[in-house]
Amino acid sequence: MSTDIEDLLREGMDRFTADLRAPAGLTCQIARRRRRRLALRSLTGAATALSAAAVALAVVAVPSSPRAGIDLTADVVRHVNSALTAADPGDIAQMTVTTSSAATYGGTTAVTTAEEWSYGDQWRSVTYSSPGHPLYDEGSSTSSALSVYTLVNYRTQTWTRQSGLGRPAAPLPLPASGKTVLHGCGPAVAAAPLLFRYGLPGMGLPASTLPSTVARSLRTAVSCGTLTVAGRERVDGVEAIKLTSRPDSFISETIWVSPSTYLPVRVVVRSAPGSPVIQQTADITWLPPTAANVARLAVPIPAGFRHVSFPEIAAPTFKQIPAALLPLPRGFCLMPAVSACHGVAFAYGRPPLPLGGFR
Amino acid sequence: MAADRSTAELERFLAERADHLLRTAVLLAGNREAGEDLLQTAVERLLRRWGRIDGDPEGYVRRTLCNLAIDGYRRAGRWRQKERLLRTELRQPQDATGDVDLRDALVRLLLQLPARQRTVLVLRYWEQLTDAEAAAVLGCSEGTVKSSGSRGLARLRELADGWTDTAAMSGRNGKRS
Repeated sequence: MSTDIEDLLREGMDRFTADLRAPAGLTCQIARRRRRRLALRSLTGAATALSAAAVALAVVAVPSSPRAGIDLTADVVRHVNSALTAADPGDIAQMTVTTSSAATYGGTTAVTTAEEWSYGDQWRSVTYSSPGHPLYDEGSSTSSALSVYTLVNYRTQTWTRQSGLGRPAAPLPLPASGKTVLHGCGPAVAAAPLLFRYGLPGMGLPASTLPSTVARSLRTAVSCGTLTVAGRERVDGVEAIKLTSRPDSFISETIWVSPSTYLPVRVVVRSAPGSPVIQQTADITWLPPTAANVARLAVPIPAGFRHVSFPEIAAPTFKQIPAALLPLPRGFCLMPAVSACHGVAFAYGRPPLPLGGFR
Repeated sequence: MAADRSTAELERFLAERADHLLRTAVLLAGNREAGEDLLQTAVERLLRRWGRIDGDPEGYVRRTLCNLAIDGYRRAGRWRQKERLLRTELRQPQDATGDVDLRDALVRLLLQLPARQRTVLVLRYWEQLTDAEAAAVLGCSEGTVKSSGSRGLARLRELADGWTDTAAMSGRNGKRS
């Protein structure tokens, strides 16, 4: 009877479930169910499970908002935080950064674009000129704790490879001074939007725009209460949750996160009124670490390009850094969370380069 | 936005496979309501990880369903309550009207099995996975799958003892309830 039992069981399972159809709009149902659960949790006081940082945000960022708004912000922030924690460095992030800069450099608007990828300690960055031609392509791969930096200069048609260079910038160092501590959120200084590219991270300048660095700074920003939910908007035709910096921030920062993954899909940073007008838009794509995606981290050497020594390529490449990508003048505050940020605007471990110093 | 493109892919995946996954969930959970609940929880987890899943999303959902079914019943002890209720129902195997098919009875008997044995049988005979594939889903050894499946089938036979061979054969010959 054993075979009979198996066959009968198989047929029985088929019959038992034959009429079942998954409800239409399953994902919508799930979203509704989640909202109901969160609402219930909020009502029953289970919201105490929210992180202290999220609570701080609720108190600090939107003191006059209705209760529902506070819960919404805290919940979104918590999810964004955990999504970023899970994604970095487990996923490859690809980021396209467009920088518009005006007034600072003679009133003209310069637009540059960079494409960046990062995955763990590996990264790659391609910088394009305004017409869209690659200026330089650089990246760092790591094996056995040794990083190998590759730089290709498209203008001079040269390339170099150097061991021991190209480590991405470490997470932002926290200032020793307690002046920047915001309502108990120590690393508030690190919550600065770090889209501003300082150029050529492999050459010793902070890799401020690498996706992994941005993910870290955003994680800190959401934990430190510098952002609050401002509804939903469509980004490239797809609905996204919008988070904005506080109105009294020195610069305006807006982040859109995917409601399904809670990972940022777009970040826009704009200087405060009265400051040099700089706006950066970063579109972020989170990619699984498949072989094809990992291959994007490799810097290709175009055929016919000449191999040169590192010093030989360094100077001409530095000269090519577009003005908009150079460090900002001292006093331009990048930290919306910190009101008295003068003097720590460049507390990123390296002093700022003099404006135009390499031009 | 890859994440959002992925959402469209997720919708497509669910449109194609949600019916089958719901049937699996119902078999694991024992009834439609619990099955839908199980599937929603599994898909919610899928949603959270969608952008990062490299490979077969159905495999991920199936694995999640199985783990939820085993862990959930183990933790909540709900299975014990259900088992008692089902035993009450099935204590009279000789259906008075004679129109209960052994197939249906076997499925109800299946729901009396411990969660792991039930899950193994669902994977083997509903999902039609091999022992090795079922072991991969459950994160255990092939030997564990074989022994759980064997114990589950043995228990089904034991529970089905109340059903006469006549009833079984009449069911096999096409009599439907």
